[in-house]
Amino acid sequence: MKLNYRVVQSLQQLVYNYTNYHTMDEISDWIQQMEKDHPDVVSRMVYGTTYEKRNITLLKIGLNNTMPKKAIWMDCGIHAREWISPAFCQHFVKEILGSYKTDGKMRKMFKNLDFYITPVLNMDGYVYSWKDNSVSFDSIQDYSMTKSVNLPQQSIVMHPLVGISRNCCSDIYSGERALSEPEAKAVTDFLSANRNNILCFLTIHSHGQLILVPYGYPDIIPPNYDELVVGLAAAKAIKDVHGMDYTVETPPNVLYANSGSSRDFARLIGIPFSFTFELRDKGQHGFTLPEAQIQPTCEEAYQGALSIITYVHDKTFASAAYTETATLVLGLNGVITGKILCMECLMRI
Amino acid sequence: MHRFCSVCVVLFSLVWPCLVQPQTPTSQPLGLTSLHEGNCSCALRLHHTEPTSQEGLVMTSRELNPQFYEASRAGRVVQHHLNTLYGSPFRVYVVTQVHTARTEDTGDDGMKYVLEFSVKDWASEGPECKASAEVLYPRGDVHQPPKVQSSPDGLLQANTSDKEQAFYQRYSAAAGPVSAKDIPDSYGHIDPEMEHFWHLAWVASSFIMLNESSENTLYSLAQVAKVTQLNIQDGQLRFELQVLLHDMVSQNINRWKLQVSWSPADGVQVLEMELLPRCHCKSQTRP
Repeated sequence: MKLNYRVVQSLQQLVYNYTNYHTMDEISDWIQQMEKDHPDVVSRMVYGTTYEKRNITLLKIGLNNTMPKKAIWMDCGIHAREWISPAFCQHFVKEILGSYKTDGKMRKMFKNLDFYITPVLNMDGYVYSWKDNSVSFDSIQDYSMTKSVNLPQQSIVMHPLVGISRNCCSDIYSGERALSEPEAKAVTDFLSANRNNILCFLTIHSHGQLILVPYGYPDIIPPNYDELVVGLAAAKAIKDVHGMDYTVETPPNVLYANSGSSRDFARLIGIPFSFTFELRDKGQHGFTLPEAQIQPTCEEAYQGALSIITYVHDKTFASAAYTETATLVLGLNGVITGKILCMECLMRI
Repeated sequence: MHRFCSVCVVLFSLVWPCLVQPQTPTSQPLGLTSLHEGNCSCALRLHHTEPTSQEGLVMTSRELNPQFYEASRAGRVVQHHLNTLYGSPFRVYVVTQVHTARTEDTGDDGMKYVLEFSVKDWASEGPECKASAEVLYPRGDVHQPPKVQSSPDGLLQANTSDKEQAFYQRYSAAAGPVSAKDIPDSYGHIDPEMEHFWHLAWVASSFIMLNESSENTLYSLAQVAKVTQLNIQDGQLRFELQVLLHDMVSQNINRWKLQVSWSPADGVQVLEMELLPRCHCKSQTRP
């Protein structure tokens, strides 16, 4: 086992290595440490249990306020073998905690928002992925029989229509019924309960270098599609870091059609900005992204996520700042006409 | 990204399938093209037939958005094809970008994709070159592999022969057979000694990935689970491999066992291949 904690003897401190992949136990310890190190802004919340009875934990990060606050949701590690995803959530937490005291903008966001960040959603699968490379895509209900379920596509909306399999051996088996998996239900319950306060839903995956916008189902466009092109600004922010191209598109155009995804569910219950990030690379290493690429991947994705979060924050809290941001991002005038489907229409599918 | 500016504009007429502004199809055949760009020393010549009508059938041609899935899947098929022909432990081709793409429905023969793309030798970090090719996906109830047409010249095979010879000599005369597993490992790490076996497995897997490809697949090598060297036969290094192949569209990862041979002179050959069984479902599959 690699030495992941470096003891700085003169200061008697443990320094977490954000450029290595960590086991589930190490990440769980890190979650507790974050709360201990930053008690004024970080608190842990358990919002569900996995199939194997692990506590699904998020970090709630923000300055305390007696009033309910608007929120940003980010989940990582829903697909167990995408290790760069939990690595990114850890990096993101480190960055925002390291900057809110000195960076005025981040401090304002800490005041106005809470960040709800789940470092590893599919904990059972993540643990299993450290034992077996070929079966780690999904939550593991019975890994002796390798029956597994594609968690993001467990949502009740449009379940199950396209991009899924009814064969329990397929990697895109969507479960016996909608929300049959406890992990998926934990997320949808949390999102539903907090739908009026969550401004932005980000779910982090790999690979492909994509920013995916709703919907996964072809020929259906969300009513705020023009605002979802804020994803383009995020892709530019990413490219400015290390030159990597991330394509912004809907899944049916750039990958394959899928239905019932958590991203689409978030959008459909009214969370206005909902994105899937697919991090590095484009298939050469695929899911086994070398550790040497953790730092640059996280740096660029951080700028991309921050770009979206800043836009969403400014749109909600600072109308002057929003106007400037929106002009830069959108540069468009016009009214959407044509093939828009109302939420009620979509729910009847 | 420039294409998305046109996406934004088109949105406001908002017919979803019209996100792509169709370009005027070229009326001239592409013909033979020698492509030397700057310092790029490779040349992939197009061997290309003019669209013709057969028995009065009119070919329908459709321009594709080169960033969308149809073009990228066809580009991946070209990549597999190039690796089956020219790949080696020191040469692995990656189609980095598709620039233009169109389909031609040839009727009973199948759907033809005509692509212009960039390709580079990823193993030797060679220059990126522009090239073009055709992919024909046959029609029929039984899956048949796609057919690819491209005609590279000898320049593609330069510069690696010394390294290949040295590798061949080393492992012909090695004291014991090589064996390894999990390349890359879960940390993405590859032992420098194993890197060229990774490339060899990638090339060998390309035979399987090409065979299995259709308009609805996008294959890549996820990992080399095992590599075991076998006895030399007929001057060929031989290996037994187990590889995990990932299809992005179905999200399946399948385990294949294959026996391959390689020598600098004869390239990579796949002698046997077998899909290994995946799982045993406890519950019934629903209709």
